[in-house]
Amino acid sequence: MAACAVGWLLRATATLQLCALLLAACSDGRTPLVIYSPHGRDLLTQFERRFEAAHPDVDVRWLDMGSQEVLERLRSERANPQADLWFGGPHTLFMRAARDSLLEATDPSGALFVSVYRTPAVIAYNAAAVPAAEAPRDWDDVLAPRWRGRVLIRDPMASGTMRSIFGMIVGRSIRTTGDTAAGFAWLRRLDGQTKEYVFNPALLTEKLVRQEGTVTLWELADLLTTMHKGRPLGFLFPASGTPVIDDAIAVVRGAGHADLARRFAAWVVSPELQLLAAREQFRLPARTDLPPESLPAWVREVEATLRPEPMDWELLEARGAEWMIYWDRQVRGTGRR
Amino acid sequence: MSPGRWAGRGNAAALLLVAALVWLAVYPLLFVGSEALRADIADFAAQRSEWSALWASLWISAASVALAAAVGVPLAFVFERYDFPGRRLLGSLVALPAVMPPLVGVIAFLFLYGESGFVARTVRAVLGGEASPWRLQGPAAILLVHGYSMYVYFYLFTRAGLAKLDASMLEAAASLGAGGWASVRRVTLPLLKPALVGAALLTFMTALASFSAPYVFGGGFRVMTTQIVATKLNGDLPMAMLETSALTVVALAGFALIRRTEGSRLVVSVGKGTPPALRVIADPVARRLAALAGWLLAVVLLLPHATLILVSLVPAGTWTTEAIPPRLSLTNYGALFSEAERLRPLLNSLWMAVVATLAALALAVAAGHLVVRRRVALRPAIEALLMLPWAVPGTVLAIALATLFSARSPWTLRWVLVGTLAILPVAYLIRSLPLTGRALLAGYRQLDPALEEAAQTLGAGRWKRMRRVTLPLLKPALAAGGALAFVTALGDFVTSILLYTYETRPISIEILSSLRLGDVGVAAACGGGRVLVSAVALGVGARAGR
Repeated sequence: MAACAVGWLLRATATLQLCALLLAACSDGRTPLVIYSPHGRDLLTQFERRFEAAHPDVDVRWLDMGSQEVLERLRSERANPQADLWFGGPHTLFMRAARDSLLEATDPSGALFVSVYRTPAVIAYNAAAVPAAEAPRDWDDVLAPRWRGRVLIRDPMASGTMRSIFGMIVGRSIRTTGDTAAGFAWLRRLDGQTKEYVFNPALLTEKLVRQEGTVTLWELADLLTTMHKGRPLGFLFPASGTPVIDDAIAVVRGAGHADLARRFAAWVVSPELQLLAAREQFRLPARTDLPPESLPAWVREVEATLRPEPMDWELLEARGAEWMIYWDRQVRGTGRR
Repeated sequence: MSPGRWAGRGNAAALLLVAALVWLAVYPLLFVGSEALRADIADFAAQRSEWSALWASLWISAASVALAAAVGVPLAFVFERYDFPGRRLLGSLVALPAVMPPLVGVIAFLFLYGESGFVARTVRAVLGGEASPWRLQGPAAILLVHGYSMYVYFYLFTRAGLAKLDASMLEAAASLGAGGWASVRRVTLPLLKPALVGAALLTFMTALASFSAPYVFGGGFRVMTTQIVATKLNGDLPMAMLETSALTVVALAGFALIRRTEGSRLVVSVGKGTPPALRVIADPVARRLAALAGWLLAVVLLLPHATLILVSLVPAGTWTTEAIPPRLSLTNYGALFSEAERLRPLLNSLWMAVVATLAALALAVAAGHLVVRRRVALRPAIEALLMLPWAVPGTVLAIALATLFSARSPWTLRWVLVGTLAILPVAYLIRSLPLTGRALLAGYRQLDPALEEAAQTLGAGRWKRMRRVTLPLLKPALAAGGALAFVTALGDFVTSILLYTYETRPISIEILSSLRLGDVGVAAACGGGRVLVSAVALGVGARAGR
């Protein structure tokens, strides 16, 4: 009887595997192009369909994962690269990957990665709980007593956006005082305001929407997408300037289909796709030569109100890890004495 | 064939098995250890944050064991000893927390007991007041989740132990003048010891390796699993490996300590007794009260599952500050079934879990045969190796496998498996070995060798004996071990996230991916599907085991 059951299980496995393979067999003869990307299902599905329509011999396969995870994976798959392209993530991460020899020439000039979108950091708030006129207008406003215990922060160790904001604060401190101390003092005050460090962006949204906190620091594309899904949120660009992170794309070193990957990268930064991403996926195009009248209203509004902070990305890349360790060990949890 | 040659072949097979187990369970760990040596060990030892994370991991795990035992053991006694209306149905329902999906299960908890959750909002609505009555954060929240999801180990193991208890021993104790409490302390508990130790081990290891509960509820509270991830994200790989090794050492120490309490003076029930008869509660009022209490308990224990289903019915963004969601619909399930792409992960998870379970069962049968029947010289090594993966947290195993199998060097037994179809089933197989191993060793020990000898004298060959006598007799063990292994593989998250590929992306990754996009409802629908499949598997296992 058990032998019977085992036989049945074996047959069931074979059937299941057959099903899985049949589903996978959409790739019959087409060249697979494997993309690791944090851009999410909506954008990736749309891009996949478009690219496949233009190239019927290509099967675009994307794996959705955080940008830090992509870097981890490229490292562990170095001997046997599985991905052709890395699409999305702050360019500081791409710089690190380039330094670790994980990338290949992505555009004709030989650059190892290419900027595709710009993601400004913003101050976001729950619009149902905070009237727009009362929302904090600048970084320092977040430290006001009325937001004490109302601020939710995405865990900065795991978030490129938060690292850039913290990096900006420390960078400003170095620029004005020549030292990092003032920056960390500011971050300690922010820690005192913070109700909770949230590990996962989706949880952060839920907690913000459910009013466990009312103010957070975030990035534009994610926020616009969430607002588009009907969440009652609002945002503004900090008056004194905000870090604008370049979101990049790169061909993976040793990719099985490097030429195809380069074609995809070139396609993504073409005017047509930049406009599509702006109109339908709330991505701020990296290209600045697009005709203004063809851009959606929100992009023109952003361009008018956004004040980019001059950032020393090289310095951030070189010392960022060390600053974050210091923050994690000496600042986190010390602001509320 | 001479007995000498038989023993020789047995030892050769045992050697082969030991070699395979060492390769699967020990070799990857040595790799992590050698990587860790590149880290700055003095810096690690000087950091207070590292030590506090390690200490937190340890005491949280120990407290989880105590909490899970405090809930699970009495529950098992009640369900195994007393009869009341609905006992059988309730008895299986309270085992359901074992199949709560990772991550989204924790999120269901947040929606239920969190400060903006259902219960807190209801309390606030009844009592009035501005702020939430409590916050679900820090060690207490982690312990709550652990206690809830891990008492099942104690419950199941204790019930199985009680079912094998011999009533005549209790009667003997009673006739020798032992009161109720004395007989529990002197007879029942010693007999239950192996079951309790097994459950404690499983709980301790699961709690030590637990990631999603501290990840979601930890707040600023550090444990080692989240610390490893933070270090890795910061790009300090050798330090992450060192932290990983530290966690493994703690796990091995805990493992050894708990195994020691099992002791050498094992009390075994002799003879083929029948378990004590169920005590029927005669008084009708008490009967009703008992049934009511049982149902209430089941409702409380199943609330997170109910929340999961409720969340899966809430269209995105419509449930904000209300106590009860204003709108319910099936849109999330529609999204799940409208695209074939979304069903792939479920199929992937199913075939990988089945393959891993079958392989783990085969290895366990071989081990049982060699250890119990042949009594080969290497049997302590085989037993220890089968249990070892329990002492290795899932993240550690994944990192180890990813490092070991990312280079091709056949002479050192390394092949490139990272990025292939094989890596995840191999990882699942390793993690299931303790479950199938423990079940099959126990199964073989309860097997009467006379039956196989009888078949042999009747002229049955080795394979025929295996097929017609041994395997059918081992069916309960195969079913129990197999069902647990299958459910574990299906639910795995921490190992999968580091090792999956496009072809093998499992259901847990699909859940995570939906969460990343803010589609909590779709994630919950996905998680609900997983709970259903696991519950069916456990049910089939329980039926086949009877």
